[in-house]
Amino acid sequence: MLILDSVHTYYGHIHALKGISLTVNKGEVVTLIGSNGAGKTTTLNTISGVLPTRAGAIYFQDSPRSAGDGSPNARDIDIRLDRLPAHDVARLGVSQSPEGRKIFARLTVQENLAMGAFARSDPEGVLHDLERVFELFPRLKERLSQPGGTLSGGEQQMLAIGRALMSSPRILLLDEPSMGLAPLLVQQIFQIIREINAQGMTILLVEQNAQAALQVADRGYVLETGNIVLSGPAGDLLANPQVAEAYLGI
Amino acid sequence: MTSSPATSQAAGTDGRTVLRQLTRVLGAVIVLLVIWRVATVGLAEGYPASFWISQALNGLVLGGVYALVALGYTLVYGILFMINFAHGEVMMIGGITGYFALQFALARGWMEGPWAVVVFALLLIMVIGMAASVLIGVALERLAYRPLRQAPRLVPLISAIGASLFLQYSVLLIFGVSPHSYRKPALISGGLRLGDVFIPYTGAIIFITSILLMLALYFIIQRTKLGRAMRAVAEDRATASLMGVDVNAVIVVTFMLGSALAGAAGVMLGFHNTVVKFNSGFIPGLKAFTAAVLGGIGNIPGAMFGALILGLIEAIGPSALGIPTEYKDVIAFSLLVLILIFRPTGLFGEVLSEKKA
Repeated sequence: MLILDSVHTYYGHIHALKGISLTVNKGEVVTLIGSNGAGKTTTLNTISGVLPTRAGAIYFQDSPRSAGDGSPNARDIDIRLDRLPAHDVARLGVSQSPEGRKIFARLTVQENLAMGAFARSDPEGVLHDLERVFELFPRLKERLSQPGGTLSGGEQQMLAIGRALMSSPRILLLDEPSMGLAPLLVQQIFQIIREINAQGMTILLVEQNAQAALQVADRGYVLETGNIVLSGPAGDLLANPQVAEAYLGI
Repeated sequence: MTSSPATSQAAGTDGRTVLRQLTRVLGAVIVLLVIWRVATVGLAEGYPASFWISQALNGLVLGGVYALVALGYTLVYGILFMINFAHGEVMMIGGITGYFALQFALARGWMEGPWAVVVFALLLIMVIGMAASVLIGVALERLAYRPLRQAPRLVPLISAIGASLFLQYSVLLIFGVSPHSYRKPALISGGLRLGDVFIPYTGAIIFITSILLMLALYFIIQRTKLGRAMRAVAEDRATASLMGVDVNAVIVVTFMLGSALAGAAGVMLGFHNTVVKFNSGFIPGLKAFTAAVLGGIGNIPGAMFGALILGLIEAIGPSALGIPTEYKDVIAFSLLVLILIFRPTGLFGEVLSEKKA
């Protein structure tokens, strides 16, 4: 569904991604783990078009949605994302919940969720997805008219994921959803990621919490200073002594 | 600040504290001096109440016009963190274009027609003025500011000043130095007399129109999808683009809205001052900028209230302080300096510091 083919990205003169190749298949949870500064967030921002791809290609392929969901934007997709601006990538259904949550602090919770659905023109579908988000995160329903900036860290994370889901994405990019959260909340967030995936969502998950990430993921990639050094089924990576030593803190 | 005696604090912090105290004392002294001057000179003149009320009403009219222009500064600052110093000229272009639209209407005899025709013609003149300003505003964004989006913040500022001069002297070149005078149609040249207070129709119309336009803008910003996108872009451009918002389009729309308001202000100021010329946007532009800073730049209600307050101060100030009216600009710009020294975030808060964080 999503294919990165030796993608290079620069920050000014800094060569941040040095030829990343990875694949995410439909319905999978794929995780990208690695230490701080390895290029995880850079990878997501390159996919989203926030950062320009200097070399390589990003392909996004999807078959039309099932006729049953009646979505008006059902269409066959086979597009190179690396040539598109960020807002067009988002409109194709590649939705990112960014690192640090990036809630619009002065917009209310409701307005934040509405921003997630910005590019949509199917009011019924939006309402349906709003209900779905409230099912996943009942807390948000209680906070609807509050400015986003007044939410707690955990609530903001829920809002960030909810906002990303409001676009009715074909693939969800999650950047460090567990960052800065208490252990109990971390568990809850990963439980919700599992739930969203069980409902059919394809997910690319970036995490520093490698243990938790590999437990929900089908497959994983290990990123080190802009290169993919290891990849495979999540179970294999969990059992891999190198991974265990470097990222699982065992 | 003295309640936390941190022993390890650097000497610089103490210096800053002393400076802040000094500034406060200085501020109090200035306020006292102004009060003393008003009490001993302004009030001692013994003007009747109706005089002050008339002045205040004048101030509100002027304040309404400033508010429309100030909103343009604040909208653009809110999104791009730059001061569009050519905004006064955007207003002036609206005024000049409105003048030619008025000439056209006068030549057709529309201004002597039945009241419905006059009202329609006035609306048409305003819309034409607004359209011209929108065109200039969008051109400014595209040619003078967008290419410099990634440049250090001082660079677009310089470009704005250059654009301001370019527009002024282009108009000078094309239309000449002499002022173009707006002729009011008979329908709106009278006024209302309430006791000793005289309210000219133009003043009332200008004030009401300004308020309506401000309400319209507030509705757009707070209640529409477009306004929500504008607020989202103002907070975080990259994240807004992750939501599918075309940030450049939102920036263009922001310039369009601000310029449309400025165009309306230009036409109304034409009717109010009865003349427009190449530099008639410069001083009002700076005044509106002062108003935006007074209210807290980037803050929309702040710009509206800041402008009304500035209008009032400018109208009442000369009489209250017992100085000639020709010096009213001195009052406005002294106010700008004082705000920047004593309350750089403006009357309505922390918007500036919050955004810098």
